[in-house]
This record gives sequence, structure tokens and C-alpha cells, in this order.
Amino acid sequence: MNPLIFTTILMTVLLGTMIVMMSSHWLMIWIGFEMNLLAIIPILMKKYNPRTMEASTKYFLTQATASMLLMMAIIINLMHSGQWTITKVFNPTASIIMTSALAMKLGLTPFHFWVPEVTQGISLTSGLILLTWQKLAPMSILYQISPSINLNILLTMAVLSILVGGWGGLNQTQLRKIMAYSSIAHMGWMTAVLAYNPTLTMLNMLIYIMMTLTMFMLFIHSSSTTTLSLSHTWNKTPLTTTLILITLLSMGGLPPLSGFMPKWMIIQELTKNNSIILPTLMAIMALLNLYFYMRLTYSTSLTMFPSTNNMKMKWQFETKRITFLPPLIVMSSLLLPLTPMLSILD
Amino acid sequence: MLKIIIPTIMLMPLTWLSKKNMIWINTTTYSLLISLISLSLLNQPSNNSLNFSLMFFSDPLSAPLLVLTTWLLPLMLMASQHHLSKEPLIRKKLYITMLTMLQTFLIMTFTATELISFYILFEATLVPTLIIITRWGNQTERLNAGLYFLFYTLMGSLPLLVALISIQNLTGSLNFLLIQYWNQALPDSWSNIFLWLACMMAFMVKMPLYGLHLWLPKAHVEAPIAGSMVLAAILLKLGGYGMLRITTMLNPQTSFMAYPFLMLSLWGMIMTSSICLRQTDLKSLIAYSSVSHMALVIVAVLIQTPWSYMGATALMIAHGLTSSMLFCLANSNYERTHSRTMILARGLQTLLPLMAAWWLLASLTNLALPPSINLIGELFVVMSSFSWSNITIILMGTNITITALYSLYMLITTQRGKYTHHINSIKPSFTRENALMALHMTPLLLLSLNPKIILGFTY
Repeated sequence: MNPLIFTTILMTVLLGTMIVMMSSHWLMIWIGFEMNLLAIIPILMKKYNPRTMEASTKYFLTQATASMLLMMAIIINLMHSGQWTITKVFNPTASIIMTSALAMKLGLTPFHFWVPEVTQGISLTSGLILLTWQKLAPMSILYQISPSINLNILLTMAVLSILVGGWGGLNQTQLRKIMAYSSIAHMGWMTAVLAYNPTLTMLNMLIYIMMTLTMFMLFIHSSSTTTLSLSHTWNKTPLTTTLILITLLSMGGLPPLSGFMPKWMIIQELTKNNSIILPTLMAIMALLNLYFYMRLTYSTSLTMFPSTNNMKMKWQFETKRITFLPPLIVMSSLLLPLTPMLSILD
Repeated sequence: MLKIIIPTIMLMPLTWLSKKNMIWINTTTYSLLISLISLSLLNQPSNNSLNFSLMFFSDPLSAPLLVLTTWLLPLMLMASQHHLSKEPLIRKKLYITMLTMLQTFLIMTFTATELISFYILFEATLVPTLIIITRWGNQTERLNAGLYFLFYTLMGSLPLLVALISIQNLTGSLNFLLIQYWNQALPDSWSNIFLWLACMMAFMVKMPLYGLHLWLPKAHVEAPIAGSMVLAAILLKLGGYGMLRITTMLNPQTSFMAYPFLMLSLWGMIMTSSICLRQTDLKSLIAYSSVSHMALVIVAVLIQTPWSYMGATALMIAHGLTSSMLFCLANSNYERTHSRTMILARGLQTLLPLMAAWWLLASLTNLALPPSINLIGELFVVMSSFSWSNITIILMGTNITITALYSLYMLITTQRGKYTHHINSIKPSFTRENALMALHMTPLLLLSLNPKIILGFTY
């Protein structure tokens, strides 16, 4: 793509999300979402083939539906409160519709069906933007309306998301689908604590973005999109195998890596608010996630081949440059002792 | 306590910066020096714990376990030299780094005051152990073994996290030093029953309890020698140590909640001992023997009398040293015949007489011969369980008999009899191996002169 045009489109995506996060007028928020959606379609379609077209169409249809639902909720809110400022939502119907719309944008169950298919159909870099940047805008709106969200719907969606994210990823070998199901599960964790302490949602979002960025960078570095091609990394860059191991264990939420921090804080917050069965269930279902991460690590770093790899090797093009990888890796694995720094998020 | 932790962390740069012919020498020497530092902790002047800071402390229960942990690192390094000799240098350094990381986490676990910090480090020990088992094990079954190990332990310990946080909610602090002064009886309610279960299941899986022990034979058999040593000697004791710490907060539910686990342990120790009589795989035999001994520890901890606590602590230390020594002996067989089948390497006494002496001593301590500390542990546990209920003497007596049976079975199969023709070309024992066995046996024999230091905090 012409670099100038690509820059313009990318800036529009960024601008759209920024508008959503910084507006106080509901209409501007809706405009921000639409700007974001329209500008990201060309980015999703960077490679021009039917698979990408299908993925982009699915993405466009679901997100447009969600935007329309959001607009309806905004109008109902306007009818009942008489003003456009974003504070809490004044009508329970509007609140439910808005929550469903934002869940559709995020990919929470039962609106999660588009996430694996869209993520699989696009290139790795576009998938990266889809799974990290696109989550910022809806999450910021959820953060702002969090006092008025119906707790039943929110917690049901959260628990179901963790379940679906864990179970759905079990049968996958394509890396992008695995990352998609991992995203569904993490969104579930984030929304579960939204009603109790939204700061922890932001913490989880931060650490999730760091870990997902790291994973995608490592995948892009070896241009691997399936488990099979990931198992070639010990031939190309043996150091990457260790990094993949550490990052995957961190995503699974194993102490002493930093992926444990959001889970621990969320479980602590939920337990302090006297809901005990919920965090236990959530924690045990996160083990499903850990199972398919372990499977990935087994094929990548924990099995040593005494001979050369007896699988078809792909052509080794020049290694793509990865930005910012060492600090990302350090942050996605060693952040746990810095847990008392959470106070800066308030 | 930092005087032990920081040198252990520094062992990692030591391995990475050492020259190729010095890595084993450097790491073994310095880890031996660190273990000498930890010996000073055994001097506990009064019944109170030695508090080093708000975060680390050492009391008569954790000090012997700490000394055992630090003592075992040089032994593990010595035992791993042979099977790693053919690997590239970076992999050797990675292996030693994993062992050192595990050692750091274990030291911090045994000396942690805050129970959540104990929990995080308890879970953190899983990661290096998993990497050691799955990456450096020898058979394809090791992948399954790693998964079983990880998931059994995690399933048990996630409810523990929730339980610890709810206890913190209730009492305001989880610092162990404070809690021993707070101790009130837990009110009787359904949710407190689940609290009891959540707290104990993690340690029951780790011990392991008889019904939840499936991960142990797999993990022990598939792990390389250092992995087996650290699993048998220390990681199982983490469960016992955790149980001893947490049962102080869980009264009075323990008096009735403990019954199912007592039944499982009492029956399980006989079952696993009997399975040992039918094993063909040497490491599997030692693994099941570990389950059997740990079942005794579970019985002792759940009975909650001063004598039983003494027996549990002594038995943990004794079993750690004995089991680790047995794994080293089995490994010396494995390195020669590359098979774990017992009958393939029989009649070794004629070929390797000094090793036969070590086999004899290890088997005798395994069957709890007087005056070793194994006997002290087992005897205290048998006596206290007899006072708890007279009938258990039948089960305990049966267990002691069957333990003697399989220990002697192992000894006689590997050592006595005519050797087979295919092993008359094995290499003689290395000095390293003899040193390893001596370093295991000497503490065991010396402790029988003064067992007071390992009898724990109820002495």
C-alpha cells in the first residue's frame, strides 16, 4: 500500500479510538467507533485475497450491528435523561442494550463467534492490531458506565467467556485462532471484575496487551502461523523458543511471572467482596487455557530433537524487524514483584 | 536470610560466566558453601522462632527443611554430571540455572512469613520442575508426566489462593507470626468446611494423598536424576510443611474433617507398599515407597498431637535423605544399563562391592532400622496413632512389615545372586558416585546421634 495512504488510515484508526476514549458527548463516542471501524477495514485487508475479504466482511457486519445497538442505547438514554453527557446510564433497558453492544465489540460470549474466524483470516500484524488496540475503546466505555451495568448480565457473560475461551482453544492448532480464544478468555476476566473495581480491569488490560504484543511479535519474527511451523523456531533462533515458553507460561497465569498478577488481584478483589465460588470457578477454568499453552510450549521449546527437524521447512525470508521486543518480554514476565505499584493506576 | 538467598541467586550468573571446564566445580563448591551457612540456622536457642525480618523467619520446623534443601543442591549437581556430559554447553548451563532457580524459590518458600508469599513461591517451584522433567527426561512419557504434575498441583492449589484471601479478609493479616497469636476457633458452618477443604487439598495433592497420587510415579520415573532427587526430597515436604503451618488456623474442624483423609492415608500406605512388591521398574518402586512414607506423615499431621508432629518432622527429613539416596543409586544403575528394569542389573555385589554397601545402608534406613532417624519418625507416628485409636496399630504394623519386605526385595534383587553375563562389562563406580552416597548417608547417620534438631517445634 502507498505509505502515505497507509499512514493516513492508521492515524484514522488511532484517532477514532482516541475520540472514543476522550469524549464526553455520546454522539462523538459513536462517531469515534465508526471512524475506527471504517479505517480498520483496509488494514485488515492488507493482503487482497478472498479469505481476508471474508474476515473483513464478518468484522464489519458485527461491529456495525454493535454500533447500531449502541446508538439505540444512546437514544434511549437521551430520552430518559435529556442530555448527551457520558455519566452513568439512566435507564436499565439502555444499560442492557449498551452492555450487549460493547460485548459484541469486545468479543464476549455469547457474541464471540466472530473473533476466531476474523483473526484467522487476516495477517499476523493486522491480527495484532485487532486483538489489542481494538479492545481499548469498548473497554474504556465499559469502564465509564460501570456503576450502572446490570451485574447479572455482566458476570454471566464473563464466566461464559472464560469457559468458551478455554474450551474453544483446546482443539486448535492455528496460532491466530489460539490467540483469539485466549483473547476471549482474558476479556472474560476483565469484565468479571468491572463491577467491583474497574481499576483492576485496566490493570488486566495493560498486562494482557503487553503479553499479546509479545506473543504476536514472536510469531511475526518467525513468520509462523501454525503450531507446526512454530516448532521450527529451534532451528532458526533457539533463543526465541525460551522467550515463547516464558511468555506462554505468563499468559497462562503461572506465578512468578507477571501474568499471575491480574489474576491474583482479580481473585483478591472478588473474594474481598464475599463472592467465593465465582473466583474459584474462574481460576479453575483458566487452567483450560493453560493446557493449550502448554501444548504449544511442548512442541516449541520443551521437546529437544536430536537430529534435524523432520518436517517440511518453510522458505526463510529475511527476518522481519520486531519493534521493542526486549522491554516487552521483560515486562510480560518479570512484573510480579512490582505489584505494590498498582496504586499508580488509581 | 538474605545471606542465603542472595548467594543462591548469584549462582546463576556464576554458571553463565564460568568457563567450560569449570562450571561443575564452581557451582558445586559454592552451593556447598551456602549449605554450610544455612547450618547455623539449626541453632534455635528458645522455642520462639528466629525472626530475621518481616518477611523471612526460621523456626525449628523450617530450619531442618531449609538445611536439607541447601544440602541437596550440591548433591543434585554432582549427580547430574554424567548424563549431561554430552550436551552442548548452553544446555548444561540452562539445566544448572533451572536447578538454581528452583533452589531459590524453595528457600524462600520455607522461610516465608506471609502466607500469600508462601503460596506464590509454592506455585513458582512448579515452573522450573516442569521444565526439568519435560525437557531433560528420557522417555516420551515425560510429556504426559509434566502435564499430570502441573495440573494436579494447580487444581489443588487454586482454591488455596481463594481460601487464603478469605482468611486475610477475616483476620486482617496473613503474616504467620501474627496469626499464631490470633488463634481463635473457626465457627462451625458449611462455608468453613469448604474453607478447610480448600486449604488442605493443595497440600494433600502435593504430599501426595493416596487417591490423588497419580502424578507422582509418572513424574518421579520420567524426571532426570536431579529432578527425581528434588521431587522426592523437598517438593513432597512442601506439602507436609504447608499442612503443619495451616492446620494451626483450622481448628476445630480438623477433628471431624480429617477422618476421610486419615482413612485414605492409612489404607493408602498399605496399598502403595504392596504395589512396591510387584514393581519391575526400580524408580517406580522408590516412587511408590515415597507415597507410602508420606501417607504416614499425613496421618501424623492430621492427628495433631505433640508426639505426632515430632514424628512427622523427623520422618520428612529422614525420608528426604533416604529417598534421594535411593534415586541416586537407581540412577547409577540406569547410567550403566540404560534401563530401569530391576532384574536387568542384578547380582551387583560381586561387581561393585562398595556400591553394594551403600545399597545396604539405604535399604536399611528405608525400612526404618534402629537407631536411624527414620525409625524415630515412624515410631513416633505409630505411637501417636495408637493413642488416637488402638486399631491403627494393625495397619501400621502391616505397613512396617511390607516396607521391610519391599526394601529387602529391592536390595536382594539388585545386589545378591549371580550376576548376569551382560553386565560384566559395566564401568566401575566413579568416585563422584561414592562421594554422593557418602554425602547422603553421613547426615543421616550423624543425625541419629542428636535427633533433637529435627524433631520440630513441639520438642
